[in-house]
Amino acid sequence: MKFDTVIIGGGLAGLTCGIRLQNRGFKCAIVSAGQSALHFSSGSFDLLNELPDRTPVTNPEEAVGALSKEHPYTKLGTQFSFYAQEAKRLLTDSGIQVEGNSKCNTYRITPMGTTIPTWLTLADFATLKKNDEVIGKKILLANVAGFLDFNTKFVADAFEQKGAECKIISVSLPEFKRLRQSPTEMRSANIARVMENEGTLNSLLSILTDNAKGFDAIALPAVFGLSSDEPVKFIKEKSGIPVYLIPTMPPSVPGIRTQQRLRRTFELAGGFFMLGDNVEKADIGDGVVYNIYTTNHGDIALQADNFILASGSFFSNGLHACMDGVSEPVFGADVDFDANRNTWYNTFVFESQKYRTFGVATDEQFRIKINGKTQKNVYAIGSILSGFDALQEGCGAGVSLLTALYVADNLKK
Amino acid sequence: MNMQQYNISDNNFEQCIKCTVCTVYCPVVPVNPNYPGPKQAGPDGERLRLKRGEFFDEALKYCLNCKRCEVACPSNVRIGDIIQLARIRYSKSKPSLRDMMLANTDIVGSISSTFAPVVNTAVALKPVKSVMDGILKIDKHRTFPKYASQTFESWFKKSAQPQQDSFKNHVSFFHGCYINYNYPQLGKDLVKVMNAIGYGVHLLENEKCCGVALISNGLIKQAKKQAKINVAAIRKSVKEENRPVIAASSTCTFTMRDEYPHLLEIENDDIRDSIELATRFIYRLIESGKVKIKYRDAAKTRIAYHTPCHMEKLGWGFYSIDMLRNIPHVDLVVLDSQCCGISGTYGFKKENYKTSQGIGSSLFKQIENSAADFIATDCETCKWQIEMSTPYKVKHPISILAESIDFEATRDLNK
Amino acid sequence: MNLSSKNNEFDIIIIGGGITGAGTARDCSLRGMRVLLIERFDFAAGATGRNHGLLHSGARYAVTDKESASECIKENMILRKIARHCVEENDGLFISLPEDDINFQSKFVESCQAAGIDAQIIDPAEARRLEPSVNPNLIGAVKVPDGSVDPFRLTLANIIDAKAHGAKVLIYHEVVGLIQEQGRIIGVKVLDHKKKETANYYAPLTINAAGIWGHGIAEMAGIKIGMYPAKGSLLIFGHRVNNIVLNRCRKPADADILVPGDTICLIGTTSSHVGFDEIDDMKVTSEEVDLLLREGKKLAPSLATTRILRAYAGVRPLVAADDNPSGRNISRGIVLLDHETRDGIAGFATITGGKLMTYRLMAEKATDLACRKLGIDKPCVTMNEPLPGSRNEEEIPQKKTYHLSDRIKRSTVGRHGDMASRIASENEFNNSLVCECEDVSVGEVEYALGELDIHNLEDLRRRTRVGMGTCQGELCACRAAGFLSEAHNCTQQAKNDLARFLNERWKGMYPVAWGEALRESEYTQWVYSGVCGMNKMEEK
Repeated sequence: MKFDTVIIGGGLAGLTCGIRLQNRGFKCAIVSAGQSALHFSSGSFDLLNELPDRTPVTNPEEAVGALSKEHPYTKLGTQFSFYAQEAKRLLTDSGIQVEGNSKCNTYRITPMGTTIPTWLTLADFATLKKNDEVIGKKILLANVAGFLDFNTKFVADAFEQKGAECKIISVSLPEFKRLRQSPTEMRSANIARVMENEGTLNSLLSILTDNAKGFDAIALPAVFGLSSDEPVKFIKEKSGIPVYLIPTMPPSVPGIRTQQRLRRTFELAGGFFMLGDNVEKADIGDGVVYNIYTTNHGDIALQADNFILASGSFFSNGLHACMDGVSEPVFGADVDFDANRNTWYNTFVFESQKYRTFGVATDEQFRIKINGKTQKNVYAIGSILSGFDALQEGCGAGVSLLTALYVADNLKK
Repeated sequence: MNMQQYNISDNNFEQCIKCTVCTVYCPVVPVNPNYPGPKQAGPDGERLRLKRGEFFDEALKYCLNCKRCEVACPSNVRIGDIIQLARIRYSKSKPSLRDMMLANTDIVGSISSTFAPVVNTAVALKPVKSVMDGILKIDKHRTFPKYASQTFESWFKKSAQPQQDSFKNHVSFFHGCYINYNYPQLGKDLVKVMNAIGYGVHLLENEKCCGVALISNGLIKQAKKQAKINVAAIRKSVKEENRPVIAASSTCTFTMRDEYPHLLEIENDDIRDSIELATRFIYRLIESGKVKIKYRDAAKTRIAYHTPCHMEKLGWGFYSIDMLRNIPHVDLVVLDSQCCGISGTYGFKKENYKTSQGIGSSLFKQIENSAADFIATDCETCKWQIEMSTPYKVKHPISILAESIDFEATRDLNK
Repeated sequence: MNLSSKNNEFDIIIIGGGITGAGTARDCSLRGMRVLLIERFDFAAGATGRNHGLLHSGARYAVTDKESASECIKENMILRKIARHCVEENDGLFISLPEDDINFQSKFVESCQAAGIDAQIIDPAEARRLEPSVNPNLIGAVKVPDGSVDPFRLTLANIIDAKAHGAKVLIYHEVVGLIQEQGRIIGVKVLDHKKKETANYYAPLTINAAGIWGHGIAEMAGIKIGMYPAKGSLLIFGHRVNNIVLNRCRKPADADILVPGDTICLIGTTSSHVGFDEIDDMKVTSEEVDLLLREGKKLAPSLATTRILRAYAGVRPLVAADDNPSGRNISRGIVLLDHETRDGIAGFATITGGKLMTYRLMAEKATDLACRKLGIDKPCVTMNEPLPGSRNEEEIPQKKTYHLSDRIKRSTVGRHGDMASRIASENEFNNSLVCECEDVSVGEVEYALGELDIHNLEDLRRRTRVGMGTCQGELCACRAAGFLSEAHNCTQQAKNDLARFLNERWKGMYPVAWGEALRESEYTQWVYSGVCGMNKMEEK
């Protein structure tokens, strides 16, 4: 099989890169080992919330200059803000409605009800200007009875601490009877599937409107809009007062929809998406990769001018840690890590963790190295890169989107 | 031993990090609350079953074995295999007469073909249908696939076999039960295409049903027996006669390549790569420039391609899609890959009928919105289900190719 | 008997809610005493919950410590009877590897038989058949009646019965002083950790059953017990690799026992001396992890490639021969110190040493002493009286319904025995799973929150196994925190507790965080820090 570019990894970085390349006229294939981390998304995309020394960031465009030279953002140089805007445009063009900008962080609401800074937020959710802002003065919170991955009390408690008045209702619709019979499958995505039905939405709506008299906002778990955002729009438009969704524990319904939108955009642009396949080996020459071979395609090689590694960090299997080291399983690319295992962890779970800064070593153009030798046609993008702690700095989505676009734009045919 | 280099052991379920992605893509979960879902039935349950076998739950039989959980899993957990192996290892329930009948596609097929007109009429008759529904628990809504009065094998032996030795190149063809008993035309199309590109087609020395229905109905001993016969025949074809084996059915192909070693513990390492779908075989020849195809002129046709579950698992939808896209008069739409709900014999069972149709409903909607002239797919049971549940006709990509090529011109190009 | 109506006066005060304290509380209340049990954290939060969970046959001590060995086998047989729901009758193998001295085997078997332990030499091939995970290179094997025992269940069952017989139990209460009057201890001063208040409780006899922390309790009375804190580290593997306990047939050494218990198996232990300043914060070092793996894979080679769930360490309350707190060969036998005769301080005794296995005997000895002191003449009945949970056969449905709820029922009965009848399972809501790895239902969580003295998620974990499975709390912790917030009607506290729980889980995970364990950890951190923003949450 011949392609211009083969991308390994079908998550946010891989798909963004693939869409951009298809639009530039490159013929791409994406090889994805299962579904991506977008399935656990918060529904927001972070750009930069905090510097490594824990200084809070309000304007990412300004703050980016303070990052070390190892940070992927530093390699983007002056084009950081350009690519931040391009990323937002690509999402919008793919049918993913987001709010926010790269000059001033906004705030998103967490499943705990707290607010934390972010960059772009899906239109399903609230985008708050300030940390202490609340979505209303009198808020109605509703949950589907028996859904354990969303806790209305946690959210209400946080809203009340900010001065709002809250009422909690539990909605029990006959449409959920079947789902509830299963001890485990009352999960967000399964609920969202039932919510695709307009009849269910109407029943829910009438319960909400009956209870919402005198209230100025409604908060619901993000269990709407799995295959399209129609149910979200429906409930928002018909309620009469503002409705905001609050993220749930995984799986993330808006995240799954985002993934599917991006995949469809990529496929409509002519790209080929190979799900559930793994790269097993590569033909590597002198600083060049010629072919890769996958589990499913066996002896039929995937041949390309360029290869892009977008296979994610540890939990996506882009990086592999064993007792005494960290490696990159596809190409055996050089990885930046500390050989002493004792330094990998902070004993406090919510602190910055050094292991999260490990990743594939790249040159200024994000090209990988194998045994110290730069590979002329292999690039790495997204969370497989080294030099940042996505969770502490709040920059995971930003690194994925921006490095994907940067590499796509700088690729030559 | 490099300690903890890979700490996942033979128990592949330990790669599961409980991310819940599989539950999103399981087609059974939304329609059957008695099915525990792939996460519970698979890795979570396996851990408990290792504690004590009595934690096995007969509800695992509701798994379709579609493997969509495996395709979705970001951790490469063989969820479907774990579930099927647990059924094989722990299930105490005995297959019913109905399950035996549905599972023995070739025995039932050979009897039915002999009496095809009678059987076809009979199974279409209302009283017969209600007997099947009431006693055999085969759902009365099901249209039974018609049995052909002449099997593919007898047609082949009579009308095609004599010419096959005249070609330079040769393949063996695993036709499967469906082509043999129900739809010999697809087999004839395949022979035509292969002959056009310069390949002689041969039957295997001995062919049994691949056994997929035996596995899903818990008839493991018999499945193993048949698998051994098939593997021996394929090995002879590949190793002694130097003929790779091609098939038209994605499910038979998948079963022989992957279910044999994973579920039946029958080693096929040496021949696995030589069992493939005809679409992939042809793709390889065209891509390497060894084969050229000349298409006939024809009116524009809009075709919607449905990726069967086992095709999705094989990852080979690419070859069929590529084949169809290369036909100049075809305007191809690729449907979102979703399960049609039939899953072989599963949907024929009365207790599964509703579940089966529920699973397929969103695919049927997609099809109805596709504005296609007809549907293409590589799986015979998907064809039944779609034809029964939508007004659309379903064709196999090989049949579409057979209708689209200029036979004479192609044959001359590949002489 | 003192029938004082004052609610701060008791016949006996027991310090320590480990298995020894719980067992003593039960025995004392069964013999009619008014008991107060005080525990500074939770039941089984110390050494009780931090060992192998091995139901020793005694074979391990047969050669070196005959007295311990015969105690073990007697208690082993008693526990199989009275604590059926806490015990798994797995059997054990003592294997000899090529590097071991096979001549030790005959001495071992003789010693076992002398101690009353049914030890049978079996053929290595037979050993491989019985336990396929065993090192196939073994040259000898001896089968003994080892088993597993769940320390959390065992402690809880003793507590439940003690309470049923009138004992008062205070957890999250710490003894901060002993009240002395004319050379005798007449009560204790107790700090309530939740309310941050102190109160005095009185009794003519106080029993120090605080394990290694008993050293500090005794010091409050100016008494020195020569305790020797010996740290033992263990690794928990993701699933059961073996179904029979595997031991090495040699003198006890590091990492030579692999015990299957419930859904997991664990290898241990190391043994090293630690200071008293470290006993509240045990950390497993990477050297200990490496050693456990290196030795463990000799018992069962597949451990080298099996996912590790976590590492933890406990401190054995070993008592040195007085004034000589050194050396490795300290007896693991039971030590009962009557401080009146030993140190001239009346109203105070210490029960320590021993093992999880022999807790009942320890309790019996301590209670016998209490009876003598308090003038009570009642025999011990704990060797015959089944514990709550092991009294009746709880019915498990016979898989006709093909529904996950049957399996869940089986899991709850496994954990709670006949007490499972108190767990609501009549509707879909209470059959929903909170913890999917360990089959813990809403009904079980609500039962535990309602009846089993639960203050936080850690307590809930010890009562139900919530968060003990493969995901180590990733899916279930947040759900469970929701129920905790409901039960205690305090949301902020539940959120803080969720953060502490996740941190405690991490503490056991990071020493083994590579491979799948690191993937799981990163994913969990992604969910709780990334999605939930808990890394930005300040504790209020």
